[in-house]
Amino acid sequence: MPRPLGLTTLTLLAAIRDGTAYGLELVARTGLPSGTVYPTLSRLERGGLVRGSWEEREAADREGRPRRRYYELTDDGAAALREGGARVAGLAAVLDPGRAGSAG
Amino acid sequence: MTRASRSAADACLRLTSWLVPRDRRPGWVAEWRAELAALRVARAGGTSSRYPSPMRFVAGALPHALWMRKEEWTMDGVAQDLRFAARVLRRSPAFTLVATLTLALGIGANASIFSLVNGMLLRAPGGIDAPRRLVQIARSYDDDPRWDNFAWPAYELIRDQSRVFSGVAGYQDQPFVLGRGAEAEQIVGQLASGNYFDVLGAKPLVGRFLRATDDLTPGAHAVVVLSHGLWTRRFGADPGVVGSTILLGGAPYEIVGVAPPELTGVEAVGTPPALWVPAMQHPPRYGQLPFTEWGWSWFNVFGRLGEGVTFEEARAAMDVVTARLREASGNETIRVLVADGIGLDPEGRRQASQLSALLALIVGLVLVLTCTNVANLFLARAAGRAEELSVRVAIGAGRGRLARQVVTESMLLAGLATLVAVPVVRSADRFLPVLFPYTLAVPVGADLRVYGFLASIGIVAGLLFGAVPAWVTSRRAMSDVIREGSSTNARRRTRVRDALVVGQLGLSLGLVSGAALLGRSVLNVRAADPGFDARGLVVAWIDLAAAGREDESEGRALYRRLVDRAAELPAVQGVTIANQAPIVGGHSRSTVHPTGRDDVRFEAERIVVGPGYFETLGIPIVRGRALGGFDDEPEPVVVVNQALADMFWPDEDPVGKELDGSAHWRVVGVVEDVQMRSLRRAGNPAVYYPVAHLYQATMVLHLRVEGAPLGPAVLRAAMAEVDPDLPLAAVADLRSALGASVGEMRTLGYLVGAFAGLALLLAAVGLYGLVSFGASQRVREMGIRIALGARPEALVGLVLRRGLALAAVGVLSGLAVAWALGRALSGVLFGIAPADPVTIAGASGLLLTTAALAAWIPARRAALVDPAQSLRE
Repeated sequence: MPRPLGLTTLTLLAAIRDGTAYGLELVARTGLPSGTVYPTLSRLERGGLVRGSWEEREAADREGRPRRRYYELTDDGAAALREGGARVAGLAAVLDPGRAGSAG
Repeated sequence: MTRASRSAADACLRLTSWLVPRDRRPGWVAEWRAELAALRVARAGGTSSRYPSPMRFVAGALPHALWMRKEEWTMDGVAQDLRFAARVLRRSPAFTLVATLTLALGIGANASIFSLVNGMLLRAPGGIDAPRRLVQIARSYDDDPRWDNFAWPAYELIRDQSRVFSGVAGYQDQPFVLGRGAEAEQIVGQLASGNYFDVLGAKPLVGRFLRATDDLTPGAHAVVVLSHGLWTRRFGADPGVVGSTILLGGAPYEIVGVAPPELTGVEAVGTPPALWVPAMQHPPRYGQLPFTEWGWSWFNVFGRLGEGVTFEEARAAMDVVTARLREASGNETIRVLVADGIGLDPEGRRQASQLSALLALIVGLVLVLTCTNVANLFLARAAGRAEELSVRVAIGAGRGRLARQVVTESMLLAGLATLVAVPVVRSADRFLPVLFPYTLAVPVGADLRVYGFLASIGIVAGLLFGAVPAWVTSRRAMSDVIREGSSTNARRRTRVRDALVVGQLGLSLGLVSGAALLGRSVLNVRAADPGFDARGLVVAWIDLAAAGREDESEGRALYRRLVDRAAELPAVQGVTIANQAPIVGGHSRSTVHPTGRDDVRFEAERIVVGPGYFETLGIPIVRGRALGGFDDEPEPVVVVNQALADMFWPDEDPVGKELDGSAHWRVVGVVEDVQMRSLRRAGNPAVYYPVAHLYQATMVLHLRVEGAPLGPAVLRAAMAEVDPDLPLAAVADLRSALGASVGEMRTLGYLVGAFAGLALLLAAVGLYGLVSFGASQRVREMGIRIALGARPEALVGLVLRRGLALAAVGVLSGLAVAWALGRALSGVLFGIAPADPVTIAGASGLLLTTAALAAWIPARRAALVDPAQSLRE
């Protein structure tokens, strides 16, 4: 990805890393509005950082509800998250050198 | 949760889903439905604080849908369309080539003309700081409005008494002989006020510019600033020339500096000055007022608006300056005018705008024509692509999607054509001056503005010829899916193509009649009698002022020696001398009136002639006698032309009558009228003065050559034998000068004629295509008719009728185009009305004949159909 990922995107990626999820779960985990979460998911999916897939029909039918679309991190997504995390940590160190020193 | 809010959220979702691209809509709706269902379950489970309300949640569907739509339209979608378009264009290289070249013609022509308009009207002359803060200042009279230059004292008054300008400067062109002997050449420089370069805000490349202290005493400031052009051409761009001395008009001048290459004076047209010397170095004028006195206006003046002063304020302030000028000059009607900006004076701007508008109209028509043609090609090709497009609709492409695909193809084509047009536009500065030599000496080089225009005209063209096919094609593909091969739609598509062909026919008529008007004008000018015999007449300028020869008696002797030497040249049958050459230039006027009648003053042509003038030019003498030589006219006598005689002494014998002007003159002869200034204007009233009485420091040698042509080099060499330091300023032959004087008309004629031919060809091809298509749809019907005994001629008529009907509509709509183009051309036409009925009727006839021919070929084929064959198909 040419442009470094923003904080919102990293938050969302981190939430997906915590476990395969459908959109609403991510809304609940991150507290981000739905109008941010879904377009971001579509963008990440197009960029190849997350993979979306429809759940098995039997699972949905068993619970009597429509099929959900689940999202998981791809390898690229995991790498991008690591990179972004390191960048944010670096930034934090710049903003607060004392704390970064004690952490190191 | 209420039922109402549930259905409201669902309704919102359903509404929003329309924004999502069709092919992705089902997945999108399914996901949001599932999410909404999950939300309801979660909120019912009591953890509602972590979840938004359904309406709030569903509100997020809108940005999501918009994102998907945007994604569809941008990057990936467009890239995909472009890839596909490139594939489509590659698949039919002939189509792509023809369409690209056609479009490049339209786009290139438009951008080239724009570069001309840019050079004349939009772009300020180069090398000047903040050119928009400069204003032109001119002299006019309340009872005789004009745009003219100032006498030196008037310039000083404006410079010293205007509070609205931070500086007021001036200049005038001045020819100089540079160098001496074999190196001598005549150049055109400028006399400039000392503050000229300061007011322009220019920076010297080498050395210094002129200074205010160079403006003090006539003849005391022999310094010169070289233009970059002269510096490179004559001095090998050597910075060391600053401080050295050159000869101008035989006098030494010190080179003090060199101007940067972009600084070419303040005028947008004409030859840029080769050098600048202080205005105080003005050569003396023989027997006339010193150049620093009132009564002789020669200085072009401009000013720079002071800090915070607007143009309107400057204009208002001119009332005060006018009042002071009236007081100082003693003229009660004189007035100081200002015009915004520099480059062209108001009259020049008006003419340039007129020419620009005319050219823009012509190339605009060409653009419409090429776009129509390419649109037609697209439509014709769309028939072959019906299957492909239907498949795309079947797999979920919307109508907008299809239209976008077609527009992408047309934009790609327009892009290619624009690239092809770039070298055309880049070379416009070479071919435009060749096409319009006498109207234009404009630096037309392409700049950012020209490239911007080129790009936008490309986009406009792409949209112009892409829109109709996109609309028709997408509409057709959609309905083809619903009903296979709908005849209604086939007919509608044909109707659009009908309209395009009618449009092409209309444009063709306009262009054909415009070309015919111009062609007839050129013939009319050619047939016009200029009043003198131009064949074998060669003219050459001798400029003693530029060479610094101030002595009158030496000048007379020199003229005589030059004439005598020229007469010895082989093939020269006659030689004379005059202050001007017909058509070519040097014209002047002066006011005369019959003695004793002050009420009929007239500004007549002032022609100073040497011995044998009328004989050499072949101007018939109507009454009385011709004028004598350098020494044999002791009395002040003149010859007048018929127009002046008719005006001053109708029904009387003019010979023996007396005239007052610069002196008291007696008329000894009357000659026929000559078109001195232009072939387009009838002969002005003119007075011919003997060179024995009016000395001029600039004269034109006239040579009548018979048999072998006389090369300029031979003439120059012969004249150099008489005086090696006196180069001939210019040599011209009158026959080509006459040709050049109709050059603009002829160029426009060729241009419009070429486009007219192209238009006619395209329209004929379009009509042929349409009629063949129509006939091919009716093959069965034809077969039946033939089987039933119809004669082939009747069938030809049947098919032909449709083609002729289209042609008739085309001609009718074309009358408006012909009328508009004729009106736009009216300033250029000669001896013919802009809406000449014969010309328009002839053009219509040509168009109908071409159309009939184009329709007859397919009609003939249709009539020869084999009935058995056609019914089996």
